[in-house]
Amino acid sequence: MLYCISTGEQILLSDNAASLAVQAFLQMCNLPIKVVCRANAEYMSPSGKVPFIHVGNQVVSELGPIVQFVKAKGHSLSDGLDEVQKAEMKAYMELVNNMLLTAELYLQWCDEATVGEITHARYGSPYPWPLNHILAYQKQWEIKRKMKAIGWGKKTLDQVLEDVDQCCQALSQRLGTQPYFFNKQPTELDALVFGHLYTILTTQLTNDELSEKVKNYSNLLAFCRRIEQHYFEDRGKDRLS
Amino acid sequence: MAASLELSCWGGGWGLPSVHSESLVVMAYAKFSGAPLKVNVIDNTWRGSRGDVPILTTEDNIVSQPAKILNFLRKQKYNADYELSAKQGADTLAYIALLEEKLLPAVLHTFWVESDNYFTVTKPWFASQIPFPLSLILPGRMSRGALNRILLTRGQPPLYHLREVEAQIYRDAKECLNLLSNRLGTSQFFFGNTPSTLDAYVFGFLAPLYKVRFPKIQLQEHLKQLSNLCRFCDDILSSYFRISLGAFSCVNRYQQQIDFGEVHSHDSTT
Repeated sequence: MLYCISTGEQILLSDNAASLAVQAFLQMCNLPIKVVCRANAEYMSPSGKVPFIHVGNQVVSELGPIVQFVKAKGHSLSDGLDEVQKAEMKAYMELVNNMLLTAELYLQWCDEATVGEITHARYGSPYPWPLNHILAYQKQWEIKRKMKAIGWGKKTLDQVLEDVDQCCQALSQRLGTQPYFFNKQPTELDALVFGHLYTILTTQLTNDELSEKVKNYSNLLAFCRRIEQHYFEDRGKDRLS
Repeated sequence: MAASLELSCWGGGWGLPSVHSESLVVMAYAKFSGAPLKVNVIDNTWRGSRGDVPILTTEDNIVSQPAKILNFLRKQKYNADYELSAKQGADTLAYIALLEEKLLPAVLHTFWVESDNYFTVTKPWFASQIPFPLSLILPGRMSRGALNRILLTRGQPPLYHLREVEAQIYRDAKECLNLLSNRLGTSQFFFGNTPSTLDAYVFGFLAPLYKVRFPKIQLQEHLKQLSNLCRFCDDILSSYFRISLGAFSCVNRYQQQIDFGEVHSHDSTT
């Protein structure tokens, strides 16, 4: 059972990306999952991060540990890779986390326009006043502290978008003309990239610059479409957004 | 380019031109790309800023942070990545992200948070480089900054506890070192026979870990077992930094004093 924050009203860009990445990964492993949405999923999770899976009496959160957990149960997408490729895969996953995820968080919580119009309202929507405001401010303060610690505190929106562009360029160059990042078989890297790119492309924000950056790279668009068709539409399973 | 390039950074010791990772990255890149850099080591006088080191100063610009400095040097046509393919350029970005996410927290911890290391080695060294009374304040601030960074990026909200993350960050760092070692293999540099940006970053992060002598050394022990990474650092030091090592002999004398425990910390804030 996969838990994530309820879609539609409450879910935010970065959490949606993470949930989608995990869903894609599990679909790629051919494991059946049931997606359950809860408003307080963040607090139910052992590490405070969504999404998490609940299997039997174990609870595992975040893509990294979930991949490990699934591997321990005998399913792995990256067994066919040699050592150098595994190193590359891990490096690219960190790149996505470092750049795309941080950019998403920045856009959601540090860009005043987005925060005011979308994030605050969405994050606090299941709670009554004044709790919704308090929780939203608390989360915003927390994210801002983190941004400052890693040196993103002073970045402007344009610099962030430029970083996103650089990241997409790197991903696009690595993907080249192959169907997946490591040729014929999808791996957790493909799931992660798909999760982030798809959510960026399909989420409505105050400005479209983020999705414009991604749209510049046609092989990345084709990549998302391919995974969507192959793993989500064919199975006729849960709606994506 | 005729503009004179001056770099302000932390000085060296233990055989290294600088013990500060970020300063070392910039110095290595400058050597690789042939940029004529005049290095101003932060010292006991009040000249120069100590805030956001390393800082590159030219006639009309001040650039801080290694990534921005490297970008600036590239725009000035000092490009060490000239021969890399597009894919290798992409790999560079990815591996740098890996270093920052997985290795950096543990390096910060070893230098600034682990109490034995911090109080016997790091703090006296940095305090000796800056004038009193700043020497009482700045090391503490850097230490708190490092702890903050580790906790905020790895800790679990809302209560951030160091114990829980310590084991995890060292595990991640060891895995990262293994991955780097696998990727390097038997080549001299990460992309062929000429060093590039990635080599500068890896050298900058690994060399202090490799050379500085600490009481608590679990990560260093692990690094020493990966002989190709050690050989990588030694090669770069002997090929690119041999000439300037002589300039740091006066700092080395102080180094030996710290190593042999002759210097007692005389500030009361410990």
